[in-house]
Amino acid sequence: MLIPRRVKHRKQHHPKRTGSAKGGTKLAFGDYGIQAVERSYVTNRQIESARIAMTRHIRRGGKVWINIYPDRPLTKKPAETRMGSGKGSPEWWIANVKPGRIMFELSGVPEDVAREALRRAIHKLPMKCKFVSREAGEY
Amino acid sequence: MSAEIKIKAEPRSEFGKGAARRIRRADKVPAVLYGHGTAPVHLTLPGHELMLALKTANALLTIEIDGDSHLALPKQVQRDPVKGFIEHADLLLVRRGEKVTVDVHVIVVGNAAPDTLITVEHQAVPLEVEATHIPQSVEVSVEGLPVGAQILAKDLRLPSGAALVLDPEALVVHVTAQQSAEALEADLAGAEAELGVEHEAPQAAGAEAGAPAGSDDDAGSGEETAAGE
Repeated sequence: MLIPRRVKHRKQHHPKRTGSAKGGTKLAFGDYGIQAVERSYVTNRQIESARIAMTRHIRRGGKVWINIYPDRPLTKKPAETRMGSGKGSPEWWIANVKPGRIMFELSGVPEDVAREALRRAIHKLPMKCKFVSREAGEY
Repeated sequence: MSAEIKIKAEPRSEFGKGAARRIRRADKVPAVLYGHGTAPVHLTLPGHELMLALKTANALLTIEIDGDSHLALPKQVQRDPVKGFIEHADLLLVRRGEKVTVDVHVIVVGNAAPDTLITVEHQAVPLEVEATHIPQSVEVSVEGLPVGAQILAKDLRLPSGAALVLDPEALVVHVTAQQSAEALEADLAGAEAELGVEHEAPQAAGAEAGAPAGSDDDAGSGEETAAGE
C-alpha cells in the first residue's frame, strides 16, 4: 500500500475540496485511463484495491500507472471519547482528488479488456468516474 | 497531410471573464491570433466548427476576419477538464512554405514477439516541417521485435521534408518482458494480504477433495442402514 515514508506534519487540516483538477487531466503514459467526475478523498486502501482489481483482470498483458498519491493524513478520535484533549491519531492516508483528474492509466491491452478492467477498478473507488482513451488525432 | 480548414471569425473588443463567459454561452470560443511579431488579434470563433477542426492533430486553419484570411496553427487549446469543451484557443500565424515545429503522434503498428510488453516513451515527437505539409502521425513498426529491443528517435522513418527536433538517441519505443505469472501472483497475493482481503474458500475444490471421503461415509452408512433394515 502507498504510505509516505516521512511527513513534515503528522496531523494536518483536512485538504480543501473545492475546484477542479488543475493538472493531470490528460492521459500522459497509457492509452486508457480512469478520470474522476466528482471530488473525493481516496484512501490508500481504495487505490490498492482498484489496482488489484484491474491487474487481476488484465493478468500479465498490460501495464498500470497510478497517477495519484495518498500523501495527506486524516485523524480520528477513539470511540466513546469526550471532546477535547487534543486531536485524534492519524487513521487514514488519502489523496485529494478533484473532478477531471486522471487517477489510473493502462496500456498494452485491447480496448475491450481495458474497459472491463477499468470498470472493475471504478467499483473500488468512492466517486463517479469515467473511462477515457487516447484519441490519436485530437489536439 | 491535413487539409486547410476555413473558419469565419469575428473580432473581439471586450475582455475579461464576464465577456468570455457571455461568448461561451453563445456557443462561441474566445481566441487570440499572434505571431511573426505582429500585435495579437483577439477573436471569437464558432464553437462547433472549431471543435470539429481541432479533432485533427495540428490542423491548419484559415481564419477569415473582416475579409482578410490568415493561416494559423493551434498553439494551445484550453479545455474544460471534465466536459472537454473548448474554453480558449491560442492560434499561431504561419506563412505558406514556412517551417514550423509541431508535435506529431507516434503510432505503434504490428505485434512484437510473444510475452513482451511495448512501452511508448514518447507519445509524440517534435518535427520541423512545412506548415502546409504537416504529417498526421509517424508510424513505428514493432513486428516481431524481441525483448530488449529499442527504437530510438534516429530510427524513425520520417515523412519527406520533415526533420527531427529531438535528441537522436532519445528512446521512443521500448520492448520489455512481461511479468511472469508467478511474480504477478506473488505481488497480488502480498497486496491482498496487506489489505486483509480473504478469498472465499474454493468450495468446488473443497467439495471435490472431500467428496470421496464423504461419499464413502454415506455409502457406508447407507449399507449399514440397509443391513440394519
